[in-house]
Amino acid sequence: MSNEVKPLLTIDGLCFDFSSQGQAIEKPGNQILNQVSLTVRKGEIVCILGASGCGKTTLLNLIAGLLTATKGVIELNTQKPTKRLGYIFQSDPLFPWRTVKDNLLLAADIDRSLDKNALVQSMLQYLSMFHLSEQILTKYPIQLSGGMRQRVSIIQSLMFDPELLLLDEPFSALDYYTKLKLESEFSQFVKERGTAAILVTHDIEEAVAIGNRALIMNGGKLQKEFLIRSEAAVMERGTSDFAEKYREIWSELKSVVGEIQ
Amino acid sequence: MTKSKSKSKIFELLLYPAPLLAFIIIWYFATQGSQERQFTFSSPEKVSEAFLRLVQSGELLQNCKVTILEALSGFLLGTTSGAIIGLSLWYSSLVAKIAKPYITALATVPIFALAPIVISWFGIDIYSKIALAFLSTVTVAIVQSYQGAMAVEPRFLRLMHVLGASRGQIFRLVVVPSSLIWVLNAMKLNIGLALLGAFIGEFISAEQGLGFMIVKASGLYDMATVFVGVIALIVIALLLTSLVEQLEKHLMKWKVH
Repeated sequence: MSNEVKPLLTIDGLCFDFSSQGQAIEKPGNQILNQVSLTVRKGEIVCILGASGCGKTTLLNLIAGLLTATKGVIELNTQKPTKRLGYIFQSDPLFPWRTVKDNLLLAADIDRSLDKNALVQSMLQYLSMFHLSEQILTKYPIQLSGGMRQRVSIIQSLMFDPELLLLDEPFSALDYYTKLKLESEFSQFVKERGTAAILVTHDIEEAVAIGNRALIMNGGKLQKEFLIRSEAAVMERGTSDFAEKYREIWSELKSVVGEIQ
Repeated sequence: MTKSKSKSKIFELLLYPAPLLAFIIIWYFATQGSQERQFTFSSPEKVSEAFLRLVQSGELLQNCKVTILEALSGFLLGTTSGAIIGLSLWYSSLVAKIAKPYITALATVPIFALAPIVISWFGIDIYSKIALAFLSTVTVAIVQSYQGAMAVEPRFLRLMHVLGASRGQIFRLVVVPSSLIWVLNAMKLNIGLALLGAFIGEFISAEQGLGFMIVKASGLYDMATVFVGVIALIVIALLLTSLVEQLEKHLMKWKVH
C-alpha cells in the first residue's frame, strides 16, 4: 500500500535552459523546460507526446542525469542502492565491434560486483521473452535487422534490472508490424516485472495502445494529461475505447501543433 | 552464372600484371641497341643481371635487412607511442589544446631538415635511422588517433554515462576500440613514411642499407643497381602494407560481414 502511495519518480518544478550547461548551444536563457512536475508509479507506462523541440528528450536526459537541471527536483525512490535507469534510444547504441553477447554483458564490464552467471541467465530469459534466438549471441550488430537490434538494445538496458525505463521513440524507425510486435512484448514485460516506463513518442496510436497515461508537452511545459487506463496491457486497436482516446489526444495535439504553426 | 563469374575473376587476375609487363616490354625495346640509352635508363636485362649479382653476393639481402630493421623499429615505436599519446589526449581537452601547435609544428617540418640534427645526435649507425623513421611516423599516429578518439559516436558515450561507467571505463571500452580504424589508417600511411625516414637517414650518412646502396651506385652511374634498390624498397613497402591489411582484417572482422 505504502509503495503505491510513494511514487517511483517524483519531478517537481523542473526548469532547464542551456545557459546552465556552461555552453551556449541554444540561445542563452532560452527556457527548454519550464516548471515541469510529474509523478510515475511502479508498473506504469507514461507516454509523453508533443511537437519536435518541445523538450521531451531533454526531460528524459535530465532524469537520466545526462543534463543538469537549472531548477527543480528529480527524486527517484528505487529500492536498490544504485539508482540505475534503463535508457533506450531512438538509434540503438550497440557497439559494432562487440558480439551481441558481449554487448548484452556490457553491464558486467562496468560493474564488477555483478554476478556474471546470473547476468547470463537473465540474458537468456530476456532473449526468449523478446522472441530472439540464442544463435544471435555470436553475431555482430551489423548482421541483425533493425527490429532485432532494437530488441537487443532493449534487453541491454534491462540487464541492470532497472526499476525505471526511459524510452526515446524506440520503435519509430521500425516497420509497422515489427513495431506492433515490440510494443506488445514491451508492454507485457512492464506488466510482468512491475517496472515503470516513460515513453517519448510522436505516435498517438502507440501511446493509446500501451500507455497508462499520456502527457502532452508544449513549449517546455506539460500542458495536459490523459488517463488512458490503469493496467499495463496492449489495448486492441479498432475498439471504441481506443478510438475515443485516440480522438481526444489527437484533437489536443492538433491544437498544440496549430499554436506552434 | 557462377562459371562466367569465375571466368571473369581469372580474366581479372590475368589483367593485374599487364601494366607491369607492358612497361617492361616498352623499356626493353626502348633501350635495345643503344649503349647511351642503356647507360642512362639501364634495361630489364641489366637490372636482372645486377639483381642476380647482388643476391649471390648477399649484398641485397643484407641491405634489405638493415632498412627493414630501421624502418620497422621506427614504425613500431612511432605508431605505438603516437597512438598512446593521441588517444590519451581525449582525457584532457586542455592538454590537447596546448599540445596542438607543437604537434602541428613537428608534422610540418620536413624530415630532411631534421636529418642532420638527428644524425649528429645518434651517430651514423642504425639508431639515427630508427629515430628518423620514428619522427616521420609519430605525428601521423598522434593526429589520427586523437581524431579517432574525438569522433566517438555520442550515442555510445550517452549509453556509458547512463550505465554509470567511469571515465577510465569509457576510454577502455569505447574510445580505444572505436578509434582502432583510425589507428590502422595511421599504420597504413606510416609504412611509407617509416621507409622514407630510414631512407633519408641512409641517404645522408650510412654504411649499409638500401639508401646507402642506391646513393653509392648512383655515384658510380650504376643505374641497374639503383633500379634494384628502388624495386626492393617497393617490394618491402608492399609486403609491410599487406601485413597491416591482414592485421586490419583480423581486428575489424565485425566490419567484413
